[in-house]
Parts: sequence; structure tokens; C-alpha cells
Amino acid sequence: MKTLSRIFRQNAQTSIIILALVGIWLIFTVLAAVMKDVNFLSPQNISNIFRQMTITAIMATGMVFVIVTGGIDLSVGKLAGFVSTVVAYNQAYRFTDNPAVAAMASVVIGLAVGLLWGGLQGYIISYLRVPAFIVTLGSMFILGGLTLLQTEGQTITATQPYFREIGQGYLNPILGWLLAAIVTAAIFFLMFRDRRNKQKYGFPLPALQADIIKSTLFAALLWGYVFVVNQYNGVQVPVLLLGIVAVIMTYVSNNTRFGRYTYAIGGNREAARLSGINIRQTLFLVFVLMGFLSGLAGIMLASYVGYGTIGAGSGYELDVIAAAILGGTSTLGGVGTIPGALIGALIMASLNTGLQILDVAPAWQGIAKGIVLILAVLLDVYFKKDKT
Amino acid sequence: MTDEYILEFQNVTKQFPGVTALDDVSFKVKRGEIHGLCGENGAGKSTLMKILSGVYPYGTYDGTVIYNGQELKLQASAIHQATEKGIAIVYQELTLVPHMTVGENIFLGSEPTEHGSINWAQLYSETQTLLDKYKLDVHPQALVKNLGVGKMQMTEIAKALSEEAQVLILDEPTSALSEAEINKLMEILRTLKSHGVTCIYISHKMQEFFRICDNVTVLRDGKWVTTQPTSQLSPEKLVRYMVGREMKERFPQGNRRPGEIIFEVKDLHAEKADRAVLNGVSFDLRKGEILGIAGLMGSGRTELVMTIFGEFGKITQGDIRLEGRPIKSNNSHHAMEHGISLVPEDRKRHGLVLIQSILKNISLPNLDRFARLMRIDQNAEVAESLRIAKELTIKAPNLYVPVETLSGGNQQKVVISKWLLSGPKILIMDDPTRGIDVGAKFEIYKLMNDLAEQGIAIIMISSELEEVLGMSDRVMVMWQGRSNGILNTSEATQEKIMTLATGLA
Repeated sequence: MKTLSRIFRQNAQTSIIILALVGIWLIFTVLAAVMKDVNFLSPQNISNIFRQMTITAIMATGMVFVIVTGGIDLSVGKLAGFVSTVVAYNQAYRFTDNPAVAAMASVVIGLAVGLLWGGLQGYIISYLRVPAFIVTLGSMFILGGLTLLQTEGQTITATQPYFREIGQGYLNPILGWLLAAIVTAAIFFLMFRDRRNKQKYGFPLPALQADIIKSTLFAALLWGYVFVVNQYNGVQVPVLLLGIVAVIMTYVSNNTRFGRYTYAIGGNREAARLSGINIRQTLFLVFVLMGFLSGLAGIMLASYVGYGTIGAGSGYELDVIAAAILGGTSTLGGVGTIPGALIGALIMASLNTGLQILDVAPAWQGIAKGIVLILAVLLDVYFKKDKT
Repeated sequence: MTDEYILEFQNVTKQFPGVTALDDVSFKVKRGEIHGLCGENGAGKSTLMKILSGVYPYGTYDGTVIYNGQELKLQASAIHQATEKGIAIVYQELTLVPHMTVGENIFLGSEPTEHGSINWAQLYSETQTLLDKYKLDVHPQALVKNLGVGKMQMTEIAKALSEEAQVLILDEPTSALSEAEINKLMEILRTLKSHGVTCIYISHKMQEFFRICDNVTVLRDGKWVTTQPTSQLSPEKLVRYMVGREMKERFPQGNRRPGEIIFEVKDLHAEKADRAVLNGVSFDLRKGEILGIAGLMGSGRTELVMTIFGEFGKITQGDIRLEGRPIKSNNSHHAMEHGISLVPEDRKRHGLVLIQSILKNISLPNLDRFARLMRIDQNAEVAESLRIAKELTIKAPNLYVPVETLSGGNQQKVVISKWLLSGPKILIMDDPTRGIDVGAKFEIYKLMNDLAEQGIAIIMISSELEEVLGMSDRVMVMWQGRSNGILNTSEATQEKIMTLATGLA
């Protein structure tokens, strides 16, 4: 118990948000059972929640970087929406004869559009020094216009075979188990390698038991997840993609110079500059990365809903920013984690699904989401104040 | 009621989890005196002042504080109470709104109004009256952002006095002031005294206590050590009380042997935003030498080193040579590649990412060394940072605590560590002992000697003449953006330096 409370205090932020998630699930489970006679924790529903969080979560991992530098990107929703219509257009009118080619081309074009747009925004923000808030606000309007031009007000269907798999596909259950086994092996391999490397440097090692418990816990969560979703259709392709993105982004944030520079710039820009960090280049790359991830989200969106439309991606930026902030990203810059943002996105998706199951009117869904966001930050502020 | 003492601390104890910040402190402050308060960082000065100002309200500490014959009971979350009772504080970090005028700042929160709107004429005339009364030379309608540090401080003092303060606490008021501004401040304090205002004067600079204070109280490790009239003290005695040990020398004797010339600056001119900031600076620097740079505020000292570091002005004329070859640094990254490191003047604003760990701060400018392709070798990073942290004896539980939790001296060691790890040939230190206590200063001095003995060439800017004379092999004096003379320390005196620094020679 003692260690548990210590772990809680050391990671107050992460603990609070995990508790919040569990709390929200509990409330929905009870309410859904009592009011609608529905099992909120059914394999199908859990599978849906996780699939729904993917688009927000992928962009939220990039938003963590943006907000950590002290910036903001309001255009991500519209950019994902625009990309989804571009992709749908290609699916519907340009590559119609070969679905495989169409899928490949759609992905490449979608990512390229995101990358280019991110690069353009990044250039204006970091090299021409226009505040990020203004550039991305303007960009939001422009992308809305471009989406209208692209769709001409029509809905474009994008349901070619292979492409559909990106947002809607499932892995065969056996493949799911195999994946879980491979990841588990990797977790333990990395743990032991890390211990060996630390030993080489003569550092004191954390207790082997603690390391094993940590890795086992992580593996157990993974196996549990695969077990649950396999009872429905299997591991979702978009969730797998999100997993890959999350691992890469976490690695980038902790283990690369670019990641470290991002946090240092957000923590103290002047100190970072005098430490020889190329501030402009780093900021530029942050927006390029954000654009790339928005492009990926746009591709998944087109594949998931099966069409491109004027309203695509509207309001997503709010969910994305909320997810990052719920996950403990500080709007003052310098602080934020990728796993936190993932849980934040999961909370947003759970709220969306739960409120829909309960047949709560859209107006009240918005109100509930807003209250949860403010409450979460309030709790955080309260705990931080308590500390001093 | 005119007691002899306006303020009395009786057995004041303040505990934080794991630390006793104040331990049974008792002393008295006479009405109308200037009372010095000194001690190393962490001695408990700030905690004591926070009790007086209500940051730590009544009930969060043990013991009693008697103010004007009554027990002082400040309530939580009512910082204004202290001001209403006549206790005002001028903090080390100034707390003015830059885009407002002097008058607006002074009356911020208590603007004179007429039918709900601000009576500007009254506000400015009252400001003028206040400034005249205490002989403060600032214009009421000047924008604060356009003022120098000295005048900002006057504004801050005026603001504190506008509420009829009986006790004025000054927390290290001179740390950012030039000699001339310090003199002006001393005059102001004497004026205040003649008006019957009691001052509590906190400082790290010994001489100032003897210039201005009637009594001095020394704290050490949260305990009261002594309260004595300054007439009975000497700087040496005071230092002894502060550190609790005999301090034979304030500046450690080094065994430096300057070698060949490694770095030359010739006739350097630079401008920033079309304004000339350097008007001809020439000097050379030898391996293993400490070159002191003296000069008043605004003489271009910081501008010079920042220009060398590639982070300030545009060089319009002259050149910089390292090991005989001309070099050009457009930014700090270039400078570091040439082997030039700079410990900036303001460690909190320019030196550290306060919310990050010691480890991340030390490794930040050195990540290129630890990176293989994309990946940072974190074990190598920890090993190297640990080595340098041990070498510089940074006191912390481990490398993972945020630097904001460290004392000033330890923070400064982190800044020096991060710049040493890159293995510089030239180490520029801009006021390296600013705002740190005597013990930590001594350690920094020792470190500078060690580094110089290892062959690193050091350029040290300092505002304290004693420090320049005590630590340098040679002293370059700057005046109006140019080098106005270079003296060997053996022949230099404070008078000679001041003569050059004020342009009299």
C-alpha cells in the first residue's frame, strides 16, 4: 500500500487521469445497465471506443509536441478533413481501375498533402514569425474553403476494397494473439537489454522484481485487450496503426535530440537558444510532424466513414487539444507526455460513445465534455497548489 | 505609543516537510533604524520575510512576531493585510507592469477615483508629491519599460511607500544595480530613515551593511547567530558569523600560469537594430588566464560577450581570432563548435530550463555528443552528467530533481556544468557569482582556478570590483562600448578601475 501511495504521489497527473478514465467507465457501465439495459463494457462497445479514439489520438500525439513548445494548432481538424476529401476524390475519380494502386496512391497523396501543409504553416510560424494561433486560425478558414472547392458541396464516396481496411479492418484473431506474443517478447527483451546496458555503466539497477512486475503488467493489459476485442472482430487495423504511431512518438519525445529540444524550448526558449539549439528549425519540424499526423488522420477518417464531405473533420481540433490537455500537457509549455494524450483521447472517445448510448442529446454531450475538461484541469491545479 | 522596538521575533520556528527553515529565531528591530539581515542562501532570510509579508500566514509557524507592541496575526490568502498594517516589501525580482506608467504602477489597485472613473490628475500629482517627499528622481508619466533598473527600483520603493509603510523590507536591492545606482539607493535609504521609516536590508554584499545599516542580524542554517551594531563589526567578522568558520581569504589562491595567446579581439564594432553597441574593443586572452571585465551597467560588457558568442549584435568592423584564425559565430551553436562556452548573466532566464531535471539541463547543449544517428545514448548521457556533477560537487538527492528546487549556488553549478561538459577552450562567465552566498562563491572561485590551471581561458564579467581584482590576472575596463584600458591585477586598484570605467581616463 505504501509503495502504491508513493507511486500515486509521484505521478499525480497520470494517476488522476487513469482514475478519471476508470471512473467514467464505471459511471457509464452502471448508467447504461440501469437506464438502457446495455453492457457498456461489452467486447463490441470496447472495440468501438478504441477504434473511435484513433483519429483524435493520432493527432493528439502531435499536438503534445505543438503545445509543449508553447504553440497551438487550430487547423488540425480541418486539415484532416481536407485530406479526407482529397483522398476520397482520388478514390472516386482518379484511380478507379486498380484498388491496390488506389489505396497506395491515396495514402501517399494524403500524407504528402498533410506534410506540405504542415511545412507551409511551420515555415510561416517559425521563419516568418507569425504567431501560431493566428497562422493556424487563418489556415482553418482556408482549409474550409479548399474542402468546399474539392467536394463542390457533394459527398464523395471512398469505399474501394483495400483502402477500406485502413479505417475499418480487423486482424484475424490468431494474428492478434501472435502480435501480442511478439510485443510481449519485445517488452521483456528491451527490459533485459536496458538492465544489461545499465550494468555495463555500473549504474545501480532497479529491483529485478519491480522491472518484471512492470513489464508483466504491461503485457497483461495487452493480452487482456486482445482477448476482449477478439471476442468481437479482432484487433482493429486503425488501433494497430495508432499503436505504432504512439511507440514512435514516445521514442521521439524521450530518446531523440529533436524531442529533447522541443521540451527545452517550451521550458525556457532563451536558455534553449543559448544552448545552441536551432529554435526555428525545431519549431518548423514540430509543425511538419503535426501536418504529417493530420494527413494520416485524414486518410483514416476517409477510410473509416467511407466518404469525403464538406463537414469532414469539423471540430476535431477541439477534441485533439482537449485530449492533449487532459493528458497533462501544460498550455504554458515544457510539459506533456504521449501516453497521457492517449488516455486523454480515450476519455474523449469514451464520453462520446457513452453519452450516445445513453441517448443524451448532442447539446448535452458538448456540455458534459466541456465540464470534464475543466474539471480535470481544476483537479490538476488543485493538486499542484497542494504540493507547495 | 513609542516603543523602542517596532518589530520583535520571539522563538520563531518554521518547518517544511523534511527541512527546518527557521529554528527558534529571536531578535528585535529598533524603530527607525536600518537593520541589515545577512546569511548564506538557505539561511532563512527569505522565510523570515515571507512570514512578515503574510505569504506564510499566522498559524503556519511557531513562535510570535510582535509588531508595534501587538502580536502580528496575518491571515492566509490576504497578502494585502501586511501592506495595510504598514509592512512593505521590495522584492529582488521587480514586480512592475512594464506597459504602464510610473504613476499607474504606484497606484495599481488603489487608484484615486471620481464617480467610478480614475482621476488621472490626482493620481499623477500624488505620485509627484510622493516622489518629491523621498527625493526619488523618476518621472511620474514615464513608461516603466523605458526605465533603467535603478529607476524601476525607485518606482518599486515609491509603490511600497505609497501605503504609508512603517517597515520597508528590501530583498537584495543592489544585485542588479551599478555603482552609481547603488550610491543613489543609499541616499534614498537615508532619506527614508530621516522620515522615520524602518528598513530591513537584505544583501549579499558585505560593504553595504557598513555603509548604511545601524544593526546587523546574522542567520545561519535557519538559526539566529547574532545581532550587533555595525560599529562593532568588521566585514571579516561578519563573514565568520555567516559561514561559521574562519574564512582567511575570500579568494582562493590559485596556481595559474597563463600560456600562449589563444584568443584575440581586434577593434570590434557591432550594432544592434542600427544602434551602435560596441565601438572598438580590443583584447587578447591567454591559455589558462582569467581576464576580468569591469565596467558600469550599460558599458557594453554583456553585449561584448554575447556578440562574441554570436547571439547579439551584428559585427560591423574588426575581427575575432581563435588560435590565430579568424572565426565568425552567427549563433551559439557555431560558438560552441569553435570551443567557446558562455555562462549567462541571468541563470534563471538564460541559463536553465527550471522545470527540467539537473540531467536534462546539463546534457542539453551536449546532446550531439551522446546521439548516435537519431538515438540519444541515455546511459552515456547519465554517466557523463554524473561525472561533471560530482566534479563540481552539485548538492542534490539525484540528477532527476528539477533545478528549480536547488539553491542559487547549486543552480549556478548546474549552469557551469552544462557549459563545461562541451569541453570549451574559452569559457565566458557573465557575473558568475551574482546572487549566491559567500560559501558557494568561494567554491565557484576555486573551480575557476582549477579550470584555468587545466588550460581553459576564462573571461569573467563582474560587477564587484573586489571580485575582479581578487580573481583576475588582468582586468579590461569598458566604457561606452569600448575597451578603455587593460590593467595587470598587480597594478590595478579599485580607484584606477573606476577612473577608467567612468571615462575619466
